[in-house]
Amino acid sequence: MKYELVAGFETHIELATKTKIFCGCTTRFGGEPNSHCCPVCIGLPGTLPKLNRQAVRYAIMAGLATHGEIAKISKMDRKNYCYPDLPKAYQISQLYAPLSIGGYVELSNGRKIRLHHIHIEEDAGKLIHRHGDTYVDYNRGGVPLIEIVSEPDIRSIDEAREYVEKLQQVMRYIGISDCKMQEGSMRCDVNISVRPEGTEKLGTRTEIKNMNSINNIARAMEYEFERQVDLIESGGKVVQETLRYDDATNTTSPMRSKEDAHDYRYFRDPDLVTINVSREEVEEIRASLPELPADKCRRYIDELGIPEKDAQLLTKYRKISEYFDAAREGVKSPKTVSNFIIGQIFRRTETESDKEVFDVSVTPEQLNELVKLLDSGKIRNNLAKSTLEKMLDSGKGALEFISESDMGGLDEETMITLCRQAIEENKKAVEDYRGGKEKALKALLGNVMKNSRGKADAAAAEAKLKEMIG
Amino acid sequence: MVTREDVENIALLSKLFVPEEELDGLTQSMQEIIDFADTINNAPTSGEAFDNINNLSNVFREDEVVESYSSEEILKNAPEQAENHFLVRNRE
Repeated sequence: MKYELVAGFETHIELATKTKIFCGCTTRFGGEPNSHCCPVCIGLPGTLPKLNRQAVRYAIMAGLATHGEIAKISKMDRKNYCYPDLPKAYQISQLYAPLSIGGYVELSNGRKIRLHHIHIEEDAGKLIHRHGDTYVDYNRGGVPLIEIVSEPDIRSIDEAREYVEKLQQVMRYIGISDCKMQEGSMRCDVNISVRPEGTEKLGTRTEIKNMNSINNIARAMEYEFERQVDLIESGGKVVQETLRYDDATNTTSPMRSKEDAHDYRYFRDPDLVTINVSREEVEEIRASLPELPADKCRRYIDELGIPEKDAQLLTKYRKISEYFDAAREGVKSPKTVSNFIIGQIFRRTETESDKEVFDVSVTPEQLNELVKLLDSGKIRNNLAKSTLEKMLDSGKGALEFISESDMGGLDEETMITLCRQAIEENKKAVEDYRGGKEKALKALLGNVMKNSRGKADAAAAEAKLKEMIG
Repeated sequence: MVTREDVENIALLSKLFVPEEELDGLTQSMQEIIDFADTINNAPTSGEAFDNINNLSNVFREDEVVESYSSEEILKNAPEQAENHFLVRNRE
């Protein structure tokens, strides 16, 4: 029998506020253990939490960017559990009235992964287990998080991968989080079940935790999918439980039942008052959002004629799209600018993190100038390409490398000289061409282009060559 | 109605050990606490439900960093500590 994978995600994202959610301690990563703490975030009795306005704003931005409905009335609840990472023995979170309801993330195959809601909550402290003892650092305790809860709409590992990438992309675009999985500012728990293909009823699900990269998520899901299918095929039953992924062995194993004994006894936090979000405020925040990557990508395709694949590359990171937008200002063919970026510039920003930062030695204005020289016919494509390489090496502008004599096309006489030279030097190619091998002309053409230092117009040179040897 | 099982469960969730002989007494006490709290449910009220007595909403702070305490001060009341961390011993 063939089985279908069904998965839903709970994604925690640390918000890029300067301070914690309920106190003024810094959210800066690192620092001496327990040096970013105060009586509020270590949960001393008698302290009073006060909600960070910016955390609420960021969460509303996240809701709007994923097409959610912002609740008019939202409240904070206590989620009770006793574990050393929570000094109060409860986490302040939202259950009954979260900030953003519904929404979706659209995948490239057109499927929409629906979101159940987005809520805000405080992060827990960090535990280091050593020699059987536990060392607790509360620097991270109280850092604001949003939790994005999806419906079980994901049907394949590829969809899961894309879902996480899209969330990451959107949240980085709107600037509410750096979403670094390795540093823990983005963390995913996956609920996964299987069912025979073509059936509707959901199978029993397990929850996988502890994955710190998109590749790990994919591997853990693959493993868990196989495990569940094998279990069912051999007559067993999937037990609802929480699993921990171990990337060293690429396996999942159940967490101890004690850790999994959930009875959170949620109730309204009496220390925190209701959050009312006015419709004016929602509209003001909506208007302040930058153009979202999906909209931008669509616009590049529809309005600028950029191929879809290229448009996706240009919009993957906000910095790249901003660079492209500045460099294409007033040029005839945005596609040319896109080609320079995706071709030559991407070769110098090889890694994903390089692309995200997109710190390029050539400014968008300098690239713009180069492309305009090309637009006006003053230089040819080959010269533009080699000039861009020199610009990238030195950070200098195009005119540093292009002399007056390089500009403008070749005069007839030079063209004939160059063609004659090419014919002299490539007797074999000439013979081949005359013998019917059309392709042989390429060698001659290449020779002309090279000797003209890219100044020759390829079409004109080809015509001239044909005329001379035809 | 509070049962012995409720008390056992709450003890487990709170990581407390309750000796068998204390269970009945605790069940009784807990029932009394809940009955006491229930008097509030029976209080005569009128008008709309309210959120808090001052009818407050939207109490926020601005996102401005305030100096944190030193780790020495934070750890002052820790039962045990090591290398600037709170230390939780494994009791198993």
